[in-house]
Amino acid sequence: MLELRNVSKLFSGIPAVDDVSFSARPGEVTGYLGPNGSGKSTTMKMITGLIEMTLGHIYFEGKAIHDDLIAFKQRMGYVPEEPYLYTHLSATEYLTMVAQLRNLPPRESSQRIDDLLRLFSLHDDRHASISGFSKGMRQKVLLIAALMHNPQLILLDEPFSGLDVASSLVLRSLIQELAVRGKVVLFSSHELDTVERICSRVVILHHGKLVADDSIERLRSLMALPTLEKIFSQLAVEQDTESIARQIADLIHA
Amino acid sequence: MRKSIRTLLDRLPLQFRVLYQQFLLRVIDLEAMSIQADVIGFLGQIAGVLIMFSMIFAVRLVGPTLLMTPVQVAAFIRGAAWSSEQLAISTMMLVVGLITVITWDATFPDRRDVLVLSPLPITPRTILCAKVSASLSVLGLAVLMLNLATGLVYPLLLGSLHGSPFGVLRFFVAYWLTMAAASLFLYGSVLAVQGFTALMLPRRIFLRLSAILQLAAFGLLLGVYFLSPAIPTLAVYRVPENQWWLACSPTYWFFALFNQLNGTLPAELAWLALRAWIALGVVVAGAAASLLLCYFRTMKKTVEEPDLVPGARGLHWVPHFGSPLQTAIVLFSFRSLTRSRQHRVAFAFFLAIVFAIALALLRGELSATAPEPLSPNLLASTFMMMTFAILGLRCGFSLPISLTANWVLRTTQLCPSQKYIAATRRSMLLLAVVPVWLVSALLSISCRPFAQVAGHLAALAVIGYILAELSLIGFYKVPFTCSFLPGKTNFQFVLWGFLVLSFTFMVPLMSQEWKALHNIFDYVFLLSVHIVVASVLWAFNRHRAKSAVLYFEELPDEIITTLGLVSR
Repeated sequence: MLELRNVSKLFSGIPAVDDVSFSARPGEVTGYLGPNGSGKSTTMKMITGLIEMTLGHIYFEGKAIHDDLIAFKQRMGYVPEEPYLYTHLSATEYLTMVAQLRNLPPRESSQRIDDLLRLFSLHDDRHASISGFSKGMRQKVLLIAALMHNPQLILLDEPFSGLDVASSLVLRSLIQELAVRGKVVLFSSHELDTVERICSRVVILHHGKLVADDSIERLRSLMALPTLEKIFSQLAVEQDTESIARQIADLIHA
Repeated sequence: MRKSIRTLLDRLPLQFRVLYQQFLLRVIDLEAMSIQADVIGFLGQIAGVLIMFSMIFAVRLVGPTLLMTPVQVAAFIRGAAWSSEQLAISTMMLVVGLITVITWDATFPDRRDVLVLSPLPITPRTILCAKVSASLSVLGLAVLMLNLATGLVYPLLLGSLHGSPFGVLRFFVAYWLTMAAASLFLYGSVLAVQGFTALMLPRRIFLRLSAILQLAAFGLLLGVYFLSPAIPTLAVYRVPENQWWLACSPTYWFFALFNQLNGTLPAELAWLALRAWIALGVVVAGAAASLLLCYFRTMKKTVEEPDLVPGARGLHWVPHFGSPLQTAIVLFSFRSLTRSRQHRVAFAFFLAIVFAIALALLRGELSATAPEPLSPNLLASTFMMMTFAILGLRCGFSLPISLTANWVLRTTQLCPSQKYIAATRRSMLLLAVVPVWLVSALLSISCRPFAQVAGHLAALAVIGYILAELSLIGFYKVPFTCSFLPGKTNFQFVLWGFLVLSFTFMVPLMSQEWKALHNIFDYVFLLSVHIVVASVLWAFNRHRAKSAVLYFEELPDEIITTLGLVSR
């Protein structure tokens, strides 16, 4: 289980994440939601160790991750929000490098990379430079890099970004399948429809603070709202969206 | 003056001015080259260096005349005129050539420009004019600075020999016209070659070939500069061995053009001046045609055809360089160095300079048909190659290739930092020390006796190792990954480092080695000293690596100074 206890992150004294506590359990997909700038990606980066938290503790399977960060990293797979890759490498070269950095056995990892590239429909382009890849293709490379070492904790920050319909459907099923196999999956997305379909629980963040942490079913009944979108709008959207759209159109038209 | 320039600039179309400013900043990668990423400061430094060269050339001609009588002065200037003119022209062509090669892609439309500017209401003509103007501004500044002193002194001295103010004026006009023509010739040559290659080949193949052409141009420019013979008199001109150089090297064509314009060209050399005119015409027409075609016919293709080199479908063998981590870092370094244009150019810049110097030093050895004795020149040139390659690569290691992608190295850092540092050292040894050592071995194949050659190569290997260890003191990074403070690459550091190393250590080291190679006891002692130094550095770096923390971002120097006012 992944557990965050009173985690805060301050940038120049301004809180990006403010006293957040929640847990993600094995066997279920935990949705991590919030408007732009609410602190989702910052939380993800704190869990991966990319940035230091200002306050609080993060535990994985009962142990503080910073006690043995290397052991924790060995069991974690991460797909970042933006598909940043070393674009001068080919997909195979990049994934081989990640496998080598993770100290995976060369022969098995090579075979696994090849098989995963085939399943993600990248096999034909495996020797082409990533610089020529579309956003969706890059996203697939990131997914393979995050999953090829069979991690126990999977952190997905906007994993559907740029994927075509078929790939999105595959990924949706894959996330559910991984959860069924006992993985801890923390999944951040703006696609509320997808979140509603695959997540059993959601954590909603607003201005860096936690505003909801429960199962979708329970939130629906507690708030007497039919969909996750309505729940999210009530908890985390302050603006009158239709009015703003009208104002923008008026401004352009003027 | 400033007001009138401002008024003139304000009359130019706004789109042109905005684009010109943008392209001017991109002509030279300021981040990579300047001390503080400061445009004015950087241009000032370059101008300073060029003016210094100009002053040296001018003093070279004027200095000896200070203690001479007028008759002696006239004889001296007549005697030194040709070689001085050739030196000024060839140096100017080298500088312009190097700037043109470094800014290889600056004049042609690149993918980013097309993607950003195509949706905007800007005509290709405006983009073309802004790009050409930006490139020519930098070149113009370089030409002006490099000839600031010589452009006044040479016409004054050479023209005064003809006894009239008109003679001086004519020499002055001829000098600057020749320099402008020679610069235009080189700039146009590079554009024409690049443009027609781009037009004739599919973009993917062009991109691959372009990198090779760029490196070849580096080598060609430096090779011609260092290997061309001086032709100080007509007698030397008539030497049969020089005819090939005269026919092929544009330096002599423009030297003849200068003399034709100032009215002192012997009839025997008229064909060289004709060559200059023809070459200039062909090149300018070729460059203009290729630029116009690239902008007006094929600019859109840069978007349609991705900057993607097709992957080879054959065997993909992955070599091993130790543990998986070491293999990953070495391969990553090698691929970054060979595939990133910016890194390749930076590294090639250092390599090309040193290989050209080495070639110049070894001119005699290379042209020898029979085995030659091992010479101090060979020792010096191999040491210089080793030093420059290591310093150049160390400089390249500091330039990040993609900062945003570094997260993968941080999230997969499963080994202690010392393993990464060891992998970085291995990259340095494999990418700089080993290739230079192999080139040195190749250069010394024709030297005898073998025992001395083997002795030198063994010493060179240890020296290479020492330099690699020295260059990596405090370098706790994965090559090509660390973000650096603007301008921290310190381009100048490498040059000054090389000069200090060369003059402080090379001369005594080489003379010691030269003596030692003739005496087995001295040699064993010298090699032992080298090995001891290498071992100390090995132990020192490993000891420090144990407590080192790998970093991916450089932090600015601490600006708060503690006063140490501790109450007792």
